[in-house]
Amino acid sequence: MEVIDLIKRFNLTINIKYFTILPLRKSQAPLRTQEVHIRRAGIDIGSRSIELTIMDGETCEVTERFQAETSIDLASQLRNIQDSYRWDVLVSTGYGRHLSQNILGGETVTEIRAYATSAHHFYSEIELVIDLGGQDTKALLLDPCAGQLLKFEMNDKCSAGTGKFFEMMAATMGLSLDELVAAARRGEKLFEINSTCTVFAESEVISLLTTGASVEDIARAIHESLLSKLVSLLSKVMKADAPSVLFVGGGAKNSTLVALLAEAVCKKIIVPEYPEFFGAYGAALLAKNTL
Amino acid sequence: MSHLTPLFNDEFIDLPLKRALGQVVKRRETGSKVVGAYCSYAPVELVWAMGGVPAILCAFSNAPIGKAEETLPTNLCPLIKSSFGFIELKTCPFFELTDAVVGETTCDGKKKMFELIGKHRPMYVMDLPQCPTNKGAVAYWRQSVAGFKEFLESEFHMTITESAIEKSIQESNRKNSLVEEIFAFGAHDPSIITWQEMYDVATFAVVSNGSETIAKLQEIIALLTDRREKGQYVSKENAKRVLITGCPIGGDVLKVLKLVDEEGATVVGLDNCTGLKPFLGRIDEGSDDPLMAIAKRYLQIPCACMTPNTGRFDQLKKQVSLLKPDLVIDLVLQACHTFNVEAVKVESCVRNDLGVNYLKVVTDFSTQDLGQLKTRIGAALEMS
Ligand code: SF4
Ligand code: SF4
Repeated sequence: MEVIDLIKRFNLTINIKYFTILPLRKSQAPLRTQEVHIRRAGIDIGSRSIELTIMDGETCEVTERFQAETSIDLASQLRNIQDSYRWDVLVSTGYGRHLSQNILGGETVTEIRAYATSAHHFYSEIELVIDLGGQDTKALLLDPCAGQLLKFEMNDKCSAGTGKFFEMMAATMGLSLDELVAAARRGEKLFEINSTCTVFAESEVISLLTTGASVEDIARAIHESLLSKLVSLLSKVMKADAPSVLFVGGGAKNSTLVALLAEAVCKKIIVPEYPEFFGAYGAALLAKNTL
Repeated sequence: MSHLTPLFNDEFIDLPLKRALGQVVKRRETGSKVVGAYCSYAPVELVWAMGGVPAILCAFSNAPIGKAEETLPTNLCPLIKSSFGFIELKTCPFFELTDAVVGETTCDGKKKMFELIGKHRPMYVMDLPQCPTNKGAVAYWRQSVAGFKEFLESEFHMTITESAIEKSIQESNRKNSLVEEIFAFGAHDPSIITWQEMYDVATFAVVSNGSETIAKLQEIIALLTDRREKGQYVSKENAKRVLITGCPIGGDVLKVLKLVDEEGATVVGLDNCTGLKPFLGRIDEGSDDPLMAIAKRYLQIPCACMTPNTGRFDQLKKQVSLLKPDLVIDLVLQACHTFNVEAVKVESCVRNDLGVNYLKVVTDFSTQDLGQLKTRIGAALEMS
């Protein structure tokens, strides 16, 4: 209901079929025996947040999810996690994967491989994946048959095309992130924010505010600015005939952005239930293979 | 690796630039003139022929970039900024040693930078035709080569004889084929030569010539042959193999190669101007026009400044079939448009024609992108 409502209020000509929020596909044959299965964990240590997931070793059903902001003292944060959760095998991914490996043991994989793995596991037909994280944006092209990663692209080293951009813009406008997203939904596409640099974009926003542009329209322009970067990244790996895109990472929770992306690429955008956990899921799934 | 005999068993282990500096200083002390050069197109045979020594002025350190940006635009190739910054700070030992400088009209940034440093040293800028296969290109370039010779002669009050040129051509050819032979050891799987060693060899060979150099290079070949026979490897078995192509690299941009090491992979070739590229190709010996012979060989250097630059693709194909890499990393310095645009064709050649995985890395000399690069290189290796 919320989705339809959103699109109506958004006043966009998006076909509803483009926009789906799907729960995670349940494992085909859940085992209902009493025996204790091995627990495999995946931890994704990003520059802004940490996600830990624990899965049943046999069924791959997610049994635990834990999320926290990455603390400055990552090492002790990891030790706390080690004290609070139990697992048998663990794979670390994300920027902090090597530190995590030092403290928690196990193997490491890059986030890119982790995303490719989880995307294929939960959505075996998917070819295109986009991840909008705190400081990184990635686009992946997968071979749906084998789940093999064919190509990937990442944003340039600056934060302009990442989740951090939204946070900074919201702060500039004195809004919370949710308020910014909601405002953009009501805004119209009247002007553009051209700066590719977050700092310059900030001053553009400020000057728009002083010229009396509405908060809604500015919020919309902020979304359009990030959207154009997502689209350009996606187009570098794009397969024209792929019907859908899996949108993961914290940015996928931005419903306005999801709707705009669906419209821009004319594809169905699939947003899983816990999009920010796909790195951790992938790591946990790969932990299976090390058993 | 510690059980291996180092290829250069001197006080400059891990300090190839200091070794090169030592070479230049040594020559200078015996009265040789030092001619600074910025590019593989500089026909160093003429410098050798006059009894001089070339010094490579391309800099790869992030340190002087702040100084350079007081004058130059931020959005400029870091190699140019770094080289310029060092000169402004008067902290580039190579530049301080030079008696004259030669430049070529390769890329726009460098060409205009020459105008700014021209006040510090006598300078000759060689006009390089950028369509090397067009009619008249070689003849035109020969004029630049001849102009450089005249410049050296008038600057240092001497004449460069044809026989001296011929001798240095022969020495160059000999040296270049030995360097090529050394780089070919990269084909061994597991690796028996590290990228640091290849870089050492290239850095050494650029500023040295003559029988001592030949002997040193032969000694290195013997050491590598010995490693091969004894099965002394510098990489793990089944380590992923990486070929580096693109812009010249060194100093702070070696971060990319270090990341390859950290991921457990092995660099098997350096197909750029700080690697094998300057040592490719031979100069015709015994021709009746040695300047023409020099001009011909230099115009064949496959630099992205040229169009068309078909030689780069021929060379890549040869390197890939010899070295059998799992991944080609195309290393582009930020704001180097020629290599950045050519990357489109390189990617297509590597992926489609050669069936090898490809990763383009655009970077500068700073450390700000280390985390991101690590992920990208790691992921590219995982999928190779
Ligand atoms: S890359 Fe081109 S311009 Fe740069 S040193 Fe090599 S030949 Fe010269
Ligand atoms: S790397 Fe590119 S931009 Fe930089 S000096 Fe060489 S050719 Fe010019």
